[in-house]
Formats: sequence, structure tokens, C-alpha cells
Amino acid sequence: MPEEKYQAIVDAIVQGEDEEAPRLIQQALEAGLPPLDVLQQGVVAGILKTGDLWAANEYFLPDVILAAEAFKAAMKPLEPHLKESQARQYGKKFVIGVVEGDVHDLGKGLVAAMLSSAGFEVIDLGINVPPDRFIGAVKEHQPAIVGLGAYMTTTMLQMKGVIAELERQGLRHKVKVMVGGAPTSQEFADEVGADAWGKDALDAMHKALLLIGA
Amino acid sequence: MAHQTLELIQGILYGNGLRVGRLSPTGRVFATLMGQHGDTVPFMGPQIHDHAMTVARVPARKYYWEAELLVNVQIAVERWYGFDTYTIIPDAYNFEVEALGAKFIYSDNAMPTVDTNEPLIKEPGDLDKIGPLDPSKGRIPMAVEVARLSCEKASGPFAMGFFCSPFSLLCQAMGYPKAVRALRRERAFAQELFEWAENQAIFPFLKAQSEQPGVKQSSGADAWAAFPNLTPEMVDEWVVPSAMRLRERGKKELGLTVMAGLAAADYCEEDPAKFDKQIMFKCWAIARKLFIMDVALSAMGRTQDWPMEWLQEFAVANGKGRRKLPVYASLNGRFMRDSTPEQIVDKIRQWIDILGRDGRLLFFIANVPADTPPAHIHTAVHAVHTLGRYPIAGDLSTIEIAPPVFQPFDEWLKGQPEADVIFKAREAGAAPRTFTG
Repeated sequence: MPEEKYQAIVDAIVQGEDEEAPRLIQQALEAGLPPLDVLQQGVVAGILKTGDLWAANEYFLPDVILAAEAFKAAMKPLEPHLKESQARQYGKKFVIGVVEGDVHDLGKGLVAAMLSSAGFEVIDLGINVPPDRFIGAVKEHQPAIVGLGAYMTTTMLQMKGVIAELERQGLRHKVKVMVGGAPTSQEFADEVGADAWGKDALDAMHKALLLIGA
Repeated sequence: MAHQTLELIQGILYGNGLRVGRLSPTGRVFATLMGQHGDTVPFMGPQIHDHAMTVARVPARKYYWEAELLVNVQIAVERWYGFDTYTIIPDAYNFEVEALGAKFIYSDNAMPTVDTNEPLIKEPGDLDKIGPLDPSKGRIPMAVEVARLSCEKASGPFAMGFFCSPFSLLCQAMGYPKAVRALRRERAFAQELFEWAENQAIFPFLKAQSEQPGVKQSSGADAWAAFPNLTPEMVDEWVVPSAMRLRERGKKELGLTVMAGLAAADYCEEDPAKFDKQIMFKCWAIARKLFIMDVALSAMGRTQDWPMEWLQEFAVANGKGRRKLPVYASLNGRFMRDSTPEQIVDKIRQWIDILGRDGRLLFFIANVPADTPPAHIHTAVHAVHTLGRYPIAGDLSTIEIAPPVFQPFDEWLKGQPEADVIFKAREAGAAPRTFTG
């Protein structure tokens, strides 16, 4: 029964079973289930349920981390099939990276996982990303949104520079900018001229969807 | 030392009703912690390293490498603001793993930061290959000198060395996801990790500190173990026993008071809609086990939105005799940066009204962001010392807090004991630092 297979995937993601989840994905694909359904009814349903448990104070960061790891592991066997079927829900790109001088990628990884589950094509530039790499990625990929992350009160000031460079190169009006990370705030996002601030991974996903009008 | 002893005695007497003479800042803190209250609510020196560097305009590549500069900058900036104690801490989470060979990123404007994308510990077998920590490696000699200078220059009961507590050290060495996975899924490995952190990484660092004159205590920050990074149950199961082992070993073998796990179980939920009284109480109860003094502690959380009546209720319920626990009321760093001075004063007025009327209240800021406007800090210190004057006014809204007048830092610094070191550091600039352990 497909429903049972999807539910097993949901459970594996929610429980953070990063070995079981890809095995179940493989089984579902071998059983001929459509990759898009496996994604939506299994993997995405699992990560969204995790988000609900987080929002309800029933799950805490360790649970979310394990679920995100299971999500990433599940996506590995699924990704090639999704690319074949052009399955991305919104077809919107999201360029994300941690600003220069900062190598903390925990939050960025969670945000990327949530965005991916929400149907964005995520282009992850990684950590310690200088402004010119953000600019280059915006030119190359023409994303709907660029997301800047920082963990330190010193490095978050780099975000101003990236946004200023987008302005200077005439790109700012073509792309929405989101900022996030432990030391950031709505006030800071307003100050640097970002379009949105992601308080946490779930919030970032919701705000990203709002920005593209989904 | 005699001076400090007198301050201590005066503080205790003052706090217990014998209100004679003018209290020193240190005496004010003792009066609050060991009695009912002092002359006014004290404001403890915050963790301020990035902000102090920014205010003093010294290059990061010197500041985070030179003990004398770092200590002088933090003492000067904290005195400029008028805090009642000094807190002198560099980038406390980095030293052990850096000396053990972890990859770091060094920059001109920020503290060194570990790159956990290339972690020191990738698999269990790595534990046999790393360590023990050699106290001559990396910036450990600088850290040991910071401990010595802190105890010499700041002196008193709040001067101490520092280290990175075991769980946070593991996060630095292998990344938080892998560390938390070990706690949840690989218990035997997690046990090995804690033993490695305590005995191979931290203890040699503590030993080097204990050999310095005047260093009698050392505190270990553990922000990675704050809630919701770890649940209170996980902190109780892993962090508390580890802290007790380090405390016991430090006392027995080094004659050093070791306080590990500081900020573990600190309630850092960001969403006010999710604030949970039961979890908060659990967190505060666990923090009591870890802090060397018995206090109701807030630190890094989104405290501006907390119902402070809960913290007061906890402090009263867990007090001894007719006295509540002393309350550390910590203004959130981002709140300090992003709010207007008026909003800061209103928050302080509200907290003193709720938490301060029966005494035993201390203000604090867990970590002052680099770009916080100095006027905000000056305003906060001025407001706490004015609104917190005992007896607390019946109606605090009638007390006007005018914007404090303060000299710009550079003007104030001229003639201060720290001036030469700071001005020279600016002139000298900084040579590139590239070593990795």
C-alpha cells in the first residue's frame, strides 16, 4: 500500500532515522511509486510534521537536527529522480550562504533543508562567502531570493556590504534579500534593508514563500 | 587583599541591615548576594569582548592574541560604562580545540572562529590520536596569561580564568549535529567524548591556569548546552555530571574552583508564543546545580519578552529562610543593540518593579553585540543605579531618567592606566596571523 510506505518515510524522518529513511525511499522508488509523491507525501510531510512538533514545544533542537539529517539522507536517492521529472513545485531559486568570516553552518543547513522541502531549488554557497560570490551567484542563477546568514555580531555586519553591492550593481530590485542567524533581528533586517528576517528555519521557509507569493 | 576583605565584610553587614558607610561596587554586589540588598541594584560586568574591541578600535589580529591588550581593553571599557564588577573573557570557546589542531578562520574584524566543516573529530578513532592538550600550543599561553592578568588587575571574587566546557568543546571539535547525535544515539561514544574533553582537552588547560599566581578559580562557558540546543533532561544527564567531575578533580588535584557548564540549560527559546513556564522552571533548577552560587539565573535568552513574574516566583519558591534566591536579570544583547534608550529604561523600570522591591536583584548582559551604541549601555547602567536605589520608589514611573552625559571613550581614556596599551595597539596595526594550532 503506497500510504503505508509514505507513512513509514514520514515516521523515519520525524524519528531522525538517517539510515532507515534513504532505505525506505529506495524501496518506494523500486516499487514504482512516483518520485514527486514520495517527496511530497513522505519526505516533505515528515519534515513538516517535525516543524509542527517544534512549533508545539514537543520537539527541541536535537530532535529537529536528527530529522534534518534524516531528510538530507532521504533526499540523496530521491534527487536524481526529481531532476528527471522536473518536480520542483515553485521552480524558484534560492541562493543561500554564510557571510565572509563566518563558518557556522548549522542554521543555514536547516534553512536550506526547509526551503528544499518547500519546493525551492536551493543553491547553497556554503560558508565564509565573500560578497563577490553572492553577487556572482545572483547573476548566474537569477534567484528569486538570496539568503545571508551570520552567527557573530561582528560578521553579521558583512550583510550590509553584500546588500550595498547588490544595489551598486543594479541587482537589488531583481532579487529579494533575507537575513538570519543568531545575532540578527527584525530591527537589524530593517536597518540593512533586507526584505525579510528568518527567526528560525521554519519561519524562514514561511517568509520565503510569502516573498514569492506562494 | 585586605581591602577586598573589608569590602566583603562591609557588603555582608550592609546587606544584613548594618548600613554604615559608602559601599564600593564590589561591596554592593556582596550585599546583594549575601544579604538583602545594597545601596542600589548592582550591574555586573557583561561578556563584552567583541563590543569592547569595537569601542576601543583595536585590531582583532592583535586583540585576540595579546593578553595584555585584551585585558586592558575590557577593563577600560567596562570601567568607562560603570559596571560594578569586571568580566574579562576572550573568545572562550576556541582555545582548546585550536591548540589541538582544529582548523580556524582568522579575520581582521572578528574573533577567530572554528571551521567545523573540517572537524577535529570525524570518527571515534580520532579520539586516540588527538591530545592531550599541550599548553604551549596555539593561543593557550595567551589564555593562561589572560587568566593571570585578570586575577591581578581585576582581582576580587569575580576574577577568574576560563575554559570551554565539555559539551560546547565537543560541538567545536565535531559540530553540534554530530555531538547531539552521539548523546541521543551513541551513548558509549558520547561517554568517551566527555571523558576525552574533560581529561585530554580541558584539564591540562586548567592545570596551566592553576600554576599562575592568583588564579584560584576558572569558569567554563557552555552556551551550546543552552535550551533548546539541549533539553533540560539532556543537560541533567550529561552536562551536570561532567561539571561535577571537573569540579571535583580541579579541587582535589589543582586546588582550583572549577565551574563548568555555565549557560547550560539557559532558557533561550526565541518565540514568545512558545515560552513554557514548566520548562523554564526546569532550566532554572538545573542552572542552580551548575552555578557555584545559588542564584536564579537568566543569561542569553529573549528576556525582554519573558514574564518576569515567573522568575520572581521561582526565586521566592526556592529561597532559604525568608529570602528569595538572588536573581541575575540579564538584558538580552540584541535588545540592548536594537532598542531605543527609552525602551531600555522602560524595561529596567519594569524589571526592578517586579524583581527588585524585595532586594537580591543583579543586572547583567550576557553578550554585548559589537555594534551596540555605547549610549545604550551607559543609559542602562545609569538607569539601573538610579531606579534601583533602595528603598525602591513606590511609583517608579515618576523617576525621570535623563540621557546620561558621558565623555567619548577616547577622551575618557586619556590619563587612564590602560591608555598607553590601547593607543599603541591602534598605531601598531596587526601582522597577519595564520597558524592553525
